[in-house]
This record gives sequence, C-alpha cells and structure tokens, in this order.
Amino acid sequence: MNKLRKFASLTLVAPLAFALAACGGGPTTPSATGAPASGGGKSGTLTVWCWDPAFNIYAMNEAAKIYAKDNPDVKVNVVETPWDDVQTKLTTLAQSKATDQLPDIFLMQNNAFQKNVINYPELFSDFSKSAVDFNQFPAGVTAYSTVDGTHFGLPFDNGTAITALRTDVLKEAGMTIDDFTDITWSDFIAKGKQVLAKTKKPLLSGTAGSGDMIMMMLQSAGASLFDEAGNPTISGNQALLKAIDVYNEMVKSGILVEVNSWDEYVGSFVNSNVAGTINGVWIMGSLQKATDQSGKWAITNLPKLNGVPGATNYSANGGSSWAISPNANQELAADFLSKTFAGSKELYETILPSSGAVANWLPMAESSVYAEPQEFFGGQPVFQKVIEFSKQVPKNNTGVYYYEGRDAMSAAVTKILNGTDPNTALDEAQKTVEFAMK
Amino acid sequence: MFLLPAALLILVMNFWPMIQAFLLSLQTGRGTRMNWADPLWSNYQRLFSDEIFGLTVQNTFIYLIIQVPIMLVVAMVLANLLNDPNLRFKGLWRTAIFLPCAVGLVSYSLVFRTMFANDGIVNDALMGMHFIDSPINWLGQTGTARFVIILGLLWRWTGYNMVFYLAALQNLDRSTFEAAKIDGAGAFQTFWYVTVPQLRPMILLTAIMSTNGTIQLFDESWNLTQGGPSYTTMSMSHYLFELSFQKNPNFGYGAALSYAILIMVAVLAWIQMKVGDKRD
Repeated sequence: MNKLRKFASLTLVAPLAFALAACGGGPTTPSATGAPASGGGKSGTLTVWCWDPAFNIYAMNEAAKIYAKDNPDVKVNVVETPWDDVQTKLTTLAQSKATDQLPDIFLMQNNAFQKNVINYPELFSDFSKSAVDFNQFPAGVTAYSTVDGTHFGLPFDNGTAITALRTDVLKEAGMTIDDFTDITWSDFIAKGKQVLAKTKKPLLSGTAGSGDMIMMMLQSAGASLFDEAGNPTISGNQALLKAIDVYNEMVKSGILVEVNSWDEYVGSFVNSNVAGTINGVWIMGSLQKATDQSGKWAITNLPKLNGVPGATNYSANGGSSWAISPNANQELAADFLSKTFAGSKELYETILPSSGAVANWLPMAESSVYAEPQEFFGGQPVFQKVIEFSKQVPKNNTGVYYYEGRDAMSAAVTKILNGTDPNTALDEAQKTVEFAMK
Repeated sequence: MFLLPAALLILVMNFWPMIQAFLLSLQTGRGTRMNWADPLWSNYQRLFSDEIFGLTVQNTFIYLIIQVPIMLVVAMVLANLLNDPNLRFKGLWRTAIFLPCAVGLVSYSLVFRTMFANDGIVNDALMGMHFIDSPINWLGQTGTARFVIILGLLWRWTGYNMVFYLAALQNLDRSTFEAAKIDGAGAFQTFWYVTVPQLRPMILLTAIMSTNGTIQLFDESWNLTQGGPSYTTMSMSHYLFELSFQKNPNFGYGAALSYAILIMVAVLAWIQMKVGDKRD
C-alpha cells in the first residue's frame, strides 16, 4: 500500500518536474561563441520559436541546411511554438524580467509587431548592425516591423492579398477570371449577383466578426484605423464607411456567407460551397488541400473601392517577420538571417514548391522557379503574379493598438448588420478604442 | 506543527501572489515600466466607466442566473432517481451521467462548436425533421450563442453536482424515508419535505462552487464563440485574458479586474451562506 502510494505520488510529481525542466529548457543551451572553425565559419547554436511544421518551421530548417554549408558548426534548434503561445510567453517573460529565457530568434505576426516593440522593447534587438538590405523588401511590408525608422524585424512570409476564384463556376455563369481583374467593388457585387443567380454559389465566405475583409479593403486604399500620430480615426472615416457599405451589401445579397470559425471558413471552399475567396497569399496552402479541384482555380488582384482617394487593386493580410532577441548571439543571428532569408535564392526556390512560402525578398521575382506555371491554378504562374502584386501594396499604419481598433471596428460592423446606423456604431467604436488607449 | 509546511506553501504559493496582484492593480504603465497610479484606485475607477466590462458582467450573470438553478435542480432530481434501491443498471446510469466531467473543457467546447455550426449536426437534424427551413446561425446571434453556452455548461457540470448529492443521499438515514412512507407521503412530498431539508449543507456547497465556477467562466466563452458577436457572449475572465495577453498588455487594469471578480464571488458566497445556513 505504502509502495503504491509512493509510486502514485511519483507519477504525479514526475510530469511536473518535466514541465518545469521544459520551461527552463530551450534557451539555456548557450549560444556559445566558440573558436572559429576552419574556413572562417562561425559556430554556435541558434534557438528559434515558430509555429507551422509545414510552413515556417520547414523554411527555418531549410535555411539552417543552407547556412550550414559555409558554417558547419552552427546548429539551429527549432522549437515548435504556436503563435498564441509565442505571444503569451513573450509577455510573461518580459513581465517577469526573465529575458534570459528568450530564444535567439522568434517569428512574429506582422500585425502584432508594433504593439510588442512599443510595450516591450527589451524583447528585441535592432537590425542596424546587420548586413540586411531592407531596400530589397517592399516598403509596405517592412513598415510593420519598423519603429521610428529602426528595423526590428526581417520580413518572412508574404501577406499580399489575392482574389482566388473557381474558373469552372465562373464558366457556368459565362465569365472568366479576366472579368474580375482590375475591377471595382461595385462591379464585383454586380457580377457576384449574376454568379449567384446562375450557379447558386456565393463568391466568398468569411469569419463573422473577424474584420479581416474590411481591413484588407482599407489597406488597399492606404487607409487605416489610425493616423500617423497613432490616434484612432474610426469615427467618420470615409474609406471605412465605404468598405463597411460594400461588406454589408455583400452579406445582404448573399455573395458573401458569414461563418463562425476558421475551420468552417476553410471548409466552405474546400467543399465547393463557395466559388472563391479573398485573403493573404498564404491561403493557397488551404486551397490546395482540395486536390480534386486542381486546375479549377485562378487568382487575380482585388477589386478596388469606388470613390475613395488613393484606392488601388492591391492589399495585404497577415504575414510574419523574424525578430532577434537581445539574449542572442546577435552577430551570429543577424549573419544567419541576412545570408538566408535576405540573401539566398536557393532557400526560397527550395521552400516555394513544397510549402508555398512566397518570398517578400524582391530579387526573387526574376527567379525561374517563380515563373513556372502552377497546375493547380490552371497553369497560371501564380507566384510571379503575387510578387508583382506585392510591389504595389500601399503602405498602411497598423499602429500599436491594431487589435483594439480591429476588434472595435468588427463589433461595429456586427451592429451595423443588425440595423444600427453606421455613423453611430463607428462613433461608439472610436470611444471604445480611445478608452482602451487611456 | 505538522500543518506548518502546508501553511507555508499556501502562504508562498497562494497569498503572496495575491498580495502582489493587489499591488499591481494599483499601478499603471506600459509593458514592464509600471508606476503607481494617480490616484491609486484609478484602475478600479476605470472599471466603472468601461462599457465592455459592464457587458461582460451582464453576460456572466445571465449565465449564472439561468444555468446554476437549472443545473442544481436537475442534478438533485437525477440523484434521487439514481438513489432508488430498485433501479437496475445503476452503475451504468451513474457513469453515463458523470462521464461529461471527464471530458476536457476545450475538447467539449470544440465538439459543441462543430455541432452547432451552420452545417453542423444540430441544424441538419432540425432540418431533417422539418422544424426549420434554413439553418440557424447558432453561434452568430447573441441569444442563440448564449443558449449554446448555457447548454454546454449544463451538459458538462450537471453530472458533477449530481455526484455530490448522491454521496449526501447515501449518508441519509433510510428510516426517515420509511417514516414518511408510513405517514402516507407521496414521492414528491417525500422529496420536498424529507430529502431536500436534509441535503441543505450539500445544496449550499454546490451552489457556492457553481457560482464561483460560473463567475470565473473562461473556456466556453473562448472556444465556442470567441466572445462574439460583438462581445455579447464574452465572460469576465475572457475579457481579463484579452486585456493582459492579446491586446496591449495592461496588467494593472487586469489585476484590478481580477479583484473585482474576487469581490463578486465573495459577496455572492456570503449571501448564500446567510440564506442557506440555518444552523445558528
């Protein structure tokens, strides 16, 4: 009996001990600055936090292989950490002043970058001493991770927005992808109604209350929820009112169906319930899950807002950037990133076909791999197109309070859909954000 | 003397962080650069002008007022049914009703979310039986989304409370029931006049525990609805998490909010004790 109890308590304690060990585990492997190896190569270990085994973890491991060719003594240790956990861990470490527990490099969502740099500058080290040429990245992308002119992040995956449509459904309605290229939102709605009438399929789907679609419309006109000084500009924002108008009309006419979760959203096009989607280019990974739809998809640029100054057919949603922690062997980490994600065509050519990770690094646009026609998209050279689009995405100001602004705006959109006057709802949203900033 | 290690552990692991949290709730600032707030109680003042906080309080109390009484009554009735000595397959029923408690909060929330999706099994079943013509957007409307959360809570926790009642019932003296029977009391009269009064301490315990649990509700709000549509199903704890980890971290305000929750739990428990405990 006594033995049994001892055993039971041990089984309880053991996982706890492991959990504690795991907490302190990763980064304690010292990023030692060992003796330089033969051939002038560097040595040490880089610990990295990122989250997607099929995407950014894979890319990081490929980068490690490429870097190891010249620096065989550098090891990269990738710790799989979901984005929500990265954010929670960073906040907790900063708050408890335990920055020595940070990894050397971590990946951060572009939309969260400003917020984290402003709140916790002690989590980042800047790229000013690195060899990275930031002019080789689109300005709209580096803006996410730049604070007061200082670069804190190296852009990784491309968030350029695309309109992806089912060509077979369009054909049934007597249209082609060209009918949706370089158009305005009012054209889009008119054509969407035709498609719906003839094929019973809505063109788009979206997660209710996520606000992504409206944020993309805003950025396509270079507009934002904040002004340059960071003050909210939600109340009476003409571009925003216009975008909400478009969104409402799409929901009410049935061109866009609202769903309640991400799985439902992906399911809506994988199961052919809708004829297309508008999102960041990374959505291609989800599209290609439906292998039976190969050859039936095509991509084009976004519709543009009518009557809004500065409106374009280009926008972005999401994307992420690499950051170096102050705890790192900064020289090694910066050298590693500048020779891989900001300097290796080989890397991007390897990861593109297998994971669909489209580069932000502009020299890749001329790469022959990017120009290859993609069978899934009916032979379109989609990746080259995306890089062309990405050069034209207007810069927008995410601001420190991006998530507060976006959520308040989304809540307002839900209210407007239920009949509240748009101006009143936006005034309320403005007040909510101002309250959060107090 | 033998209590000392445990007492020390509780002091260090439990009360010390609580004091720290209270000090934190008097501070304000960005990230780790916190200063004493001016005036000191300004975070608490802020709670009263925060409309979203008001909404989350309202949501939480709607869950509390509807869910807890239904759950406790159902649990008590079930416990009585299962306590019948003539019931067959008792173990099976008991396990079946208690089993939901063994399911993780997150996993059951996700299952509920899938069931109540627009093309989920609930809509399919209702449409198959011709109760509705088009799918109901369960999680997309305030009323139905709250209903789904309450339903989830009932499913998850009724069995848990039932076990408490069952345990209490088994300690009751059978002779009291026999006496009631001899006096000619029906099943309902026996339940109401004999069983319930004897269960009073257990009812008090489960009421306090359920109230406490519901006020700190988090998983269902987070996993089922993400607080939407427009904050109308968000619980207080969910808002607290959002303030601290998702939005610009405002730990001082978050700590103040957690103390507000603590005070609500304490006040409600105190009222329940005053109402429920007639020992003196």
